[in-house]
Amino acid sequence: MAEVTAAGQDRQDGAQVAVTGVSATSAFGRGAQPLLAGALRGQPAFGPVGRFDARARRTQAAAELPGAPLLADELAAVIDTACDAAGLDRQQRAQAVFLLALHTDAAAARDAAADVVTDDIPRRVATRCGLPDPPRVYWTACVAASTAIADAAAMIVSGRADRAVVAAGYLVDDDSFALFDGGRVLARDGRVRPFSAGRQGMLLGDGVAAVVLESAGAARRRDAPVSAWLAGWGRAGDAYHVIQPSPEGSGLARAIAAALRRGGVDPADIGYVNANGPGTSFADSSEAAALHRALGSHAATVPVSSTKALHGHALEASALLEFVLTVISLRAGILPVNAGFLAPDPDCELDLVLGAAREARYRYALSLNAAFGGASTALLVAAA
Amino acid sequence: MTASVVPLSPVGGDRLDDLPSHLAVLARADWPGTDQDPLPGLPGFILSSFSPLAAELAERCLRQHFGSPPADPRRAEQTAIVLASMTGDVATAVAVAQAVDQGRSVPPLLFYQSNPNAVAGYVAARWGLAGPVVCTIPASRGLTDALDVATLLIEDGDATAALVILADQRREDGDTGAALLVGPASWLPAAEHAARSG
Repeated sequence: MAEVTAAGQDRQDGAQVAVTGVSATSAFGRGAQPLLAGALRGQPAFGPVGRFDARARRTQAAAELPGAPLLADELAAVIDTACDAAGLDRQQRAQAVFLLALHTDAAAARDAAADVVTDDIPRRVATRCGLPDPPRVYWTACVAASTAIADAAAMIVSGRADRAVVAAGYLVDDDSFALFDGGRVLARDGRVRPFSAGRQGMLLGDGVAAVVLESAGAARRRDAPVSAWLAGWGRAGDAYHVIQPSPEGSGLARAIAAALRRGGVDPADIGYVNANGPGTSFADSSEAAALHRALGSHAATVPVSSTKALHGHALEASALLEFVLTVISLRAGILPVNAGFLAPDPDCELDLVLGAAREARYRYALSLNAAFGGASTALLVAAA
Repeated sequence: MTASVVPLSPVGGDRLDDLPSHLAVLARADWPGTDQDPLPGLPGFILSSFSPLAAELAERCLRQHFGSPPADPRRAEQTAIVLASMTGDVATAVAVAQAVDQGRSVPPLLFYQSNPNAVAGYVAARWGLAGPVVCTIPASRGLTDALDVATLLIEDGDATAALVILADQRREDGDTGAALLVGPASWLPAAEHAARSG
């Protein structure tokens, strides 16, 4: 009961859920620091695909780790790193809730004995990391990981859990590359240019990430290091189209509003927006509209960037990779650059971080994601 | 039709009687149902029955409560869609793998439908359901886990009600599934709500 009281106090503070451990692997390297360093340098990690033959595709670029990494190994490594950073012992790992977001596994599609498209990766990773089996895999495309974060937070503030480990992973593979190429959404010029005139589309990138979330009371009792607070979250839908986002950004705007409401935060308090910004025509303009709808006049002045222009789109893992980058950028006092920008698009009137990453001190940041079917999420991060 | 007397019978070992008392199962559809109708196709979705199955379950369930689409906007605004599958869309994944292995390009329609949000978006747009969209692969007890997700969404405040769909596509056993509309007990017909409250 003491924890419920602590959580109630935290709600009054607008800081509900402690982020006590983060880790990420991307094409910039293994660990959160290479990701932050990559964001500071501002040089996109895209290069020619080396993992399979992409010569028959319309574009041949992706952001890959070198070699042939295995998803289960990479997941286990980021989870161990995040749990160690949070200082979790074996018992605390075993008692945590484990939520996982994954893409369809290409090997399972070629295995007649596999009875599920994610194969047995969840159980293998859980066993290796000393975590309980995840109750489910989040499979809801580009908002899979952010939905898992929001669910973990909801479980914590409702008293269902003290602590959750949320992980997500996607490694660029031939099947997903062929699918996105078939859908004609990959940028043929080999660059992602969010919110820019002349943007041609998205590019895929490796992304594996993990975070440890705890109730404020649980974190305080064991004197855990708090990297940041997850102060609010929101999920909503467009009810508009099978795949296209609402031009008005209605679902994402409601998700942002819900996150701000939970956090007790005014739009003017937001100091940075890590945008979804995949670099596709419809999605970027819809997101700009959502920001104006949700933040009002502040949308014209709050710094915005989509870091997908640096690390690529990691599909089901993208939201967690971007959440981690938002947390470490907030802690480091930087605004990651919106790379690839060519010229303003009148449908995307935002204050983009252009040229290079900038130093800035701010208290609140939003991490936004949107997906097919109008699924939209907003995560509100507060400085520790 | 109304939502009266929706049976809380188990589905594949799932217990449906764990819902909190403030929530009720307002409508339910199962596949295969009692009729012998074949699964209708869904325009824009090819080669796999996964999305047509999810769409048909949603249609049969939502019609019981809302009548013809769209749904009452006062209720639809915060109605979520939780699409769960113990298997995922196996046929689409296999079709993509075969195209890649044979060096063929992948048809654009497979790109769209490979993402379960697509059929969820179809249902959301048709019925005006503007709550969160969540797609999951439960580890076990598929419908029970999907109901857990829906209950969490509702109790956390991002949704008032949820269309919960379980759509399974097993290589040998064929397609099975169920859909439930879960929402406030106060949405039940007045007499039923009174009986439940009393």
